[in-house]
Amino acid sequence: MSLFATRGLTVRFGGLTAVDHVDAGVDEGETLGLIGPNGSGKTTFFNAVTGLVPAEGDVAFRGGALRGLEPHAICRRGIARTFQASRLCLGLSVFDNVLIGMHTHVVSGVWDALFRRKRMISEVRDGLKQAAHLLGLFNPDLIDRGFDPVGALPQIDRRRVEICRALAARPRLLLLDEPSAGMNPEETGELMKDLQIVREEMPGLSIIIIEHDMFVIEGVSQRVVAFNYGRKIAEGTFADVARNEEVRDAYLGRGSTPEGAPRA
Amino acid sequence: MGGLIGVWAVELGLFVLVVAALLAERPIAVGLTVAAIALLLVAVQTSVRVWGWMATSFRTHRAAALGGAATLALALPFFLRASPYWTFVATMALLYVTIGQGLNLQMGTAGVINLAGAAFAGLGGYTVGLLTVRLGFAPWLAFAIGPLVAMVVGALLFIPILKVRGHYLALVTIAFGFIFNILMNNLEFTGGPQGIKNIPTLRLFGHAFTTAPTLFGVTLPSHANFYYAALAMAALVTWLAWRLYNSWVGLTLNTLRDDEIAAKCSGVSVTRHKLLAFSIGNLFVGLAGGFYAVMVGFVSPPDFDFGYSLVMLSVIILGGLDSIPGVVLGACLLIPLPERFRMLHEYRLLLYGAAIVLMLLFRPRGLWPAGVRRYGLGRPAGSFGAAGTRAEGVGVSR
Repeated sequence: MSLFATRGLTVRFGGLTAVDHVDAGVDEGETLGLIGPNGSGKTTFFNAVTGLVPAEGDVAFRGGALRGLEPHAICRRGIARTFQASRLCLGLSVFDNVLIGMHTHVVSGVWDALFRRKRMISEVRDGLKQAAHLLGLFNPDLIDRGFDPVGALPQIDRRRVEICRALAARPRLLLLDEPSAGMNPEETGELMKDLQIVREEMPGLSIIIIEHDMFVIEGVSQRVVAFNYGRKIAEGTFADVARNEEVRDAYLGRGSTPEGAPRA
Repeated sequence: MGGLIGVWAVELGLFVLVVAALLAERPIAVGLTVAAIALLLVAVQTSVRVWGWMATSFRTHRAAALGGAATLALALPFFLRASPYWTFVATMALLYVTIGQGLNLQMGTAGVINLAGAAFAGLGGYTVGLLTVRLGFAPWLAFAIGPLVAMVVGALLFIPILKVRGHYLALVTIAFGFIFNILMNNLEFTGGPQGIKNIPTLRLFGHAFTTAPTLFGVTLPSHANFYYAALAMAALVTWLAWRLYNSWVGLTLNTLRDDEIAAKCSGVSVTRHKLLAFSIGNLFVGLAGGFYAVMVGFVSPPDFDFGYSLVMLSVIILGGLDSIPGVVLGACLLIPLPERFRMLHEYRLLLYGAAIVLMLLFRPRGLWPAGVRRYGLGRPAGSFGAAGTRAEGVGVSR
């Protein structure tokens, strides 16, 4: 049984159907690549799954239904995500940005913050240790810069911090929305290594990754789903999808040859 | 050691200048002392070296710095004893510290705009007045209920606030401030424009706050009672605010302020945390309002009009949004200064407005900007980047 599956997921913005009856799923420990031209509904699919936009259809996750839940409740069930345009708090420290990811697991509240300081501090220490561990997986320098504002970091490190924030929630399903956006080829290569590290360190974690860089998709995903105009047009291994005529048409226009495989 | 003496020297120097500025009688002396304070501030603000030295010394000698500041704050009434008026002004500054911490929690930390600070202070003040004068409650009891009323009314106002954001949120709170004022002006039982008179004062161990206290053989003006009580209140509220800021709660509220969507997707319930910040903030503001009522013994609508909401806003912008020490600095500068220049009183709001614009242009993060949150752990112990020591690494000194 799959960990996560949508059935007939549909998002409408007025007359526009951004996501059109999509059935898609992912198994435990599997990485699914999500591709499609700009505007094909990939990010909207993520937004619908995480509860940021209202949707019709069913979303099943770990045997329960997610539809109608608020974003914070969906996170609590075990789905964490990153965003295409970075959504870090640039003025807050690197550690703070990762610590907020642990929000759903934090037990100390206002009372502990005010009057049971020991309990609160010991939880902060544990959180800092976890944060340092996560950051250290990607780039040990980030631990030394843990109390620097995130805004002082280069693009690739910001992306890593954002992935760490998502991982800090200890999710079962991780949604990565175009992690290589705005990166040069060298940084994209590093990012791929980072994603491999995530897969090795957390073998049970399922990942859905949106990417335009087909090297990344080919390198990290076991299965690929292609979108066009909000509909799922193909599904299968990377090679299958790359050969699919409808996918080629979507990317390259009608009548393209197999040599002109989708490359970005 | 040099740092320690430096910290105390800075504090003592500033204290001497401030007392001199307040007590100076000849205009030239006033001008000179105020200019010296301004020069000091500008030097600290513009020179990276001076600012760096101040920041490190105050952080490394935090306990000594706090002790020094506390000693000077306790000693202040002795130096101002010739002037009940300045003791009163100093007390008002402390009330603004209390109010500022509340508003800062809302606007600085959580990003929930509240332009009705004066109305929430008024709720505290009027509650104390009505309960004691009309219903005969004991002053301490009324004083304790006042802030709770401010908090509960704030929570009710929060229902419409949740449906709006940004500028509309500002408008809702402004409207609330005006509604409060109009109601107080027109309702029979609040005394209308006459307000509520003869609010009984507080007593502590049989000592009424209106009798002049004698400490160490020195008789101080009766306002010194309120000064010390307000000092205790401001210290308590600042301490609580500091603890909230340096905790998961502060972090959650900051994230909510910076990026609501990211916060939601990290599992933060927006409603719950905004309501939390708004309620605790109004509790502090209402507390100061109730204190004002028992101190002055009289509340009326003009004491809580919109202009004062703007003064409160100026305090936290001047000090630095989201900065706990910034609030203290902002209140201590912005409240006494205009009193010193009474001749400019007509232009007070204009000057506040100019101060805000100048701050936003040149020092958008305030005079004492918020630093990185360290959860009260002190400085992290050296190199926890080195492989192998990572896990213990974040084991922090102390």
